[in-house]
Amino acid sequence: MNAQTPKPFEEVLEYLEGKKKIVLMGCGGCATIYHTGGIKEIDEMAEKLTKEGKEISKIGLPFGLFTCFLPMSSMVLNENKKAIEDCDAMLMMSCGDGLQAVRGYLEDEWGIVKPMYPSNNALGFSSGGPSDFIEECQGCGDCELGKTAGVCPLVRCAKGLMNGPCGGVREDGKCEVNEDQECAWVTIYKRLEKFGELDKLLEIREPHDWSKQSRPRTVTVEHPIDLLKELAGTKKVIESLGV
Amino acid sequence: MEMAEEVYSNLMREIKDGRFVWTGELEPAKDIDEAIEAANELKGLVTACNVTDNPQSFAAINSLAASYKIQEETGMECIYQLRCSDRNRMALCSDVMGAGILGLKNILTLTGDYVSLGDTPKAKPVYDLDSTTLTRMIHTLVHEGKDISGTEIPNPPKLHVGAAAGPGMDPLEPELYKLKRKSIAGAEFFQTQVVYLPETIDRFFKGVKELGVETPILVGIFPAKSYGAAKFFDEYVTGVDVPQDFLKNLEATKQIKDKEKRKEEVDRVNIEYFTGFLEHLKGTPAVGCHIMAVGYPRIIPELKKIIE
Repeated sequence: MNAQTPKPFEEVLEYLEGKKKIVLMGCGGCATIYHTGGIKEIDEMAEKLTKEGKEISKIGLPFGLFTCFLPMSSMVLNENKKAIEDCDAMLMMSCGDGLQAVRGYLEDEWGIVKPMYPSNNALGFSSGGPSDFIEECQGCGDCELGKTAGVCPLVRCAKGLMNGPCGGVREDGKCEVNEDQECAWVTIYKRLEKFGELDKLLEIREPHDWSKQSRPRTVTVEHPIDLLKELAGTKKVIESLGV
Repeated sequence: MEMAEEVYSNLMREIKDGRFVWTGELEPAKDIDEAIEAANELKGLVTACNVTDNPQSFAAINSLAASYKIQEETGMECIYQLRCSDRNRMALCSDVMGAGILGLKNILTLTGDYVSLGDTPKAKPVYDLDSTTLTRMIHTLVHEGKDISGTEIPNPPKLHVGAAAGPGMDPLEPELYKLKRKSIAGAEFFQTQVVYLPETIDRFFKGVKELGVETPILVGIFPAKSYGAAKFFDEYVTGVDVPQDFLKNLEATKQIKDKEKRKEEVDRVNIEYFTGFLEHLKGTPAVGCHIMAVGYPRIIPELKKIIE
């Protein structure tokens, strides 16, 4: 998931200065989980912006519909085409992927250019939940987990060291930068000790290959999923869970 | 003779000759004059001096430029400190090749404090290499004449690469494995973080021996020229515990009004403490001491007497 937090309302208002008709669009994926762009948060934002004199149209996506995945979000966008065409600006209550996926869709498919503003700060990949999340993977393009006991030092170590620990480990193995976190290399050491593989710590791990992260990276999926078929599968699982 | 046996610096010469080696520390900050003055004061007292690289992540005069200037102007041999925090592998490689043409003879590789600890907290931290891979890169430059990309270079730098160690780290085992890794990567000497307790030294050397590391190790010590200096180390430097008795005795010197008498008493407290410590050190595999007594050169001859 892409963790996110809301921007201060004052920042949002600054973006929307001089814009009257605003379309709010959220996301049924991460933004719903993080309470930054679910249907409830869109309603709350609409109320606040109405008090500021804005005319609001809302595009809320139910849980499971992702704004960044155009086969899903385009269905909702098409239903709201008129409101979007008429608006002065869109406020995207999603991550930056959601905003830019929609921006591209409007430009490439509809040929319209609208000012689009973010209401959130996205923090990147995260895992856990329902309340507490931690960043574990940065999508570097050259996964090192096979060499580091299943713990990514590029993310879990503040310095991203491939051969740690550094000299700043606090007493009891905590990180000098993030006092609440155990040093990634202490964690790696403990895991390798349990596997009886401490000798692996004597290998010099190569510097990470950052060429795999030259941006923007693009990916082409040869046989795209059949969305309706996949959703039917999801429905079955949900029914089997008794929901 | 293998290339690895060649000796380029006085530091390595003395280590190989089996003499107890003393190194000092210079901290050029935003100005070089004080460091040059300190280098002149340390001449004849230590074999070489470390020149710090953005210490505690405060932007300071470039340590390569400072090392060169100090060496040129004072004749003090420098141990050019190079940290991974601020430069990618290309910049590190070019700096090391630069050190070669400037006649620097020793480099100490460091990970480097995290950037948020210093005066430029919004900087992008780099850490493209770490202290292990930087050590290996320098070793490969010197001994194989190849740069970071594997390209052969016509006149490889002639210098020695050393690395740091933290005897007081808790837990110690991951640190010991890293030390071993750095020795495999080509570290020719180690300088340790400051140590005060004999038991810390013993625990460390026991671990070093168990892992079969034979690289020469200089143990870091910090005679404190004031109570404040010692207190700072105790509070802010990870892995360093300053003994409470030593701290208390230094604190007591603050009561002495006469400046000269106070200095004498501070010296006495330091000599008393370090006599015991250095006597203990003689019985360990340590090949020398790295004295991080910035601004306190007058204590060094007294400390050397204890060992000699």
